[in-house]
Amino acid sequence: MNIFLRELRANRKSLIIWSVCIFLLVLSGMAKYTAYSSGGQSAAVFNNLPHSVKALIGMGSFDVTTMAGYFAMLFLYTELAVAIHAALLGAGIIAKEERDKTTEFLMIKPISRKTVITSKLFAAFVNVVIVNIVTLVSCVAMVTKYNKGPDITSEVIMFMLSMFIVQLVFLTLGAAMAAFTKSPKASGSFTMGMLLIAFIISKITDLTDKINVLNILSPFKYFSYVDLVSGKGLDIVSVILSLSLVAAFAASAYFFYPKRDLHI
Amino acid sequence: MNVIEIEKLTKNYGKSRGIIDVNLTIEQGEVFGFIGPNGAGKSTTIRTLLGLIHPTSGSAKIFGKSCFDSPEVRREVGYLPSEVFYYDNMRVIDLLKYSASFYKKDCTKRINELAEIMDLDLNKKIDDLSFGNKKKVGIVQGLLHEPKLIILDEPTSGLDPLMQQKFFDLIAGENKKGATVFFSSHILGEVQKMCSRVALIKDGRIIKLEKMSSLQENSYKRIKLETKSAMYKDAFNIDGISKLELKGNSADFIYKGNINSIIRRIGEFELANLTIDEPDLEEIFMHYYAKED
Repeated sequence: MNIFLRELRANRKSLIIWSVCIFLLVLSGMAKYTAYSSGGQSAAVFNNLPHSVKALIGMGSFDVTTMAGYFAMLFLYTELAVAIHAALLGAGIIAKEERDKTTEFLMIKPISRKTVITSKLFAAFVNVVIVNIVTLVSCVAMVTKYNKGPDITSEVIMFMLSMFIVQLVFLTLGAAMAAFTKSPKASGSFTMGMLLIAFIISKITDLTDKINVLNILSPFKYFSYVDLVSGKGLDIVSVILSLSLVAAFAASAYFFYPKRDLHI
Repeated sequence: MNVIEIEKLTKNYGKSRGIIDVNLTIEQGEVFGFIGPNGAGKSTTIRTLLGLIHPTSGSAKIFGKSCFDSPEVRREVGYLPSEVFYYDNMRVIDLLKYSASFYKKDCTKRINELAEIMDLDLNKKIDDLSFGNKKKVGIVQGLLHEPKLIILDEPTSGLDPLMQQKFFDLIAGENKKGATVFFSSHILGEVQKMCSRVALIKDGRIIKLEKMSSLQENSYKRIKLETKSAMYKDAFNIDGISKLELKGNSADFIYKGNINSIIRRIGEFELANLTIDEPDLEEIFMHYYAKED
């Protein structure tokens, strides 16, 4: 419990900064919706863009002139930002003792390394939940402000649920990396590298359907946002598979951390 | 009862050497000195003992248990690392309370006592403290839960002589109350003051395990002197002198034996200067190597 509270306090500042940034990201993104939705010529321009261009700027097959379609496009960038937060948090919260050389303070206390992991993962989990709620509130507020069409709050909530799972995937991936690698600085960069590769894969598979099998490497592709836009909700199989991945990453953190030598 | 049991402990870092086949047993109530030059494996031994790094082979136990299997045995252990690092942005008192929170007992009174003895301002931010003051935080942090085993890794570096004395008094007091002390250092003199037994470690191996009393019988002094008149050649041709270097009016040697007889011999000269020092560790180690060969 003491480690949990300590980590909440230690991450408070960073959490506030991230929350403000996410809010500003949503705010600035949504503010541009009027340009997309003004109808007439701009709608035709968007629809006539080649598919590859649409894919690269994140439009994919969304109709960005509707609120749901536009939100889906913007969502990909929001999701990237919160995924970066989760990955850095997951790697950092485990690696920080070794990075800041406080290992010899904490790890000689009468607690097991597994207890340390549990407390830290819980603290990180709370942070991720808060970021998710901040995103949800910002999105609902901004969508309501600019939306002139049908209400999409329930879709936004589905988007946020899917985003939460992606956050958990990257959080536990980062934690597993930090638990595995002995160099405290490498784990963060390594996790970020994997995140960017996953993001690039998601862009590449947007361009062509032929290599969709690669999507398995990209949590950004675990949920069909086209389905979410059309109100079909989350695919339960995807949810279960993603959560199993989360469990596997978390389990490997518990497995590797007690086994290795701590960096002092 | 043995508080520390280290058996055939070996630790390699990849291909580089850590420690090789270290055997130690330390009994309850002992003050045990662990002496060796930097890089000899002192910290490696301690870190393996505390469960921070895994042994390559052999075992290290505290109160009969391994820290890996039973992390809770560390409840009775207080540890002062050679270099102290703490969380940024915390006040001293917050850090000490955080540390105390792991031991499930109220340590507030002891924290205040220790802070007073060590002259430590509890309300300062840790970032603002000097190296010596951080070391004091480490001392208070290591002792606040009144541990039964105190492990000290180069504890006096960064402390001024006055604080060192207070620190030694403090440790002696804890020992009197029943605590066992494991004292690692590269300074023989400070270990000599406190310890009942010492182990000498060099290049990862224990080369000597001895009672302090017998080490003191073999007390070595490095003596340097300058005379006002020339010395005769055989002036220091007596038992117990080694590594003699004579240069004109100055002499430099290591002496082992009755201190009075050497002083009498030195007294025969009109002196310009005289220093009597503890020989450095290396020289003592060289002696032990020589004895083994």
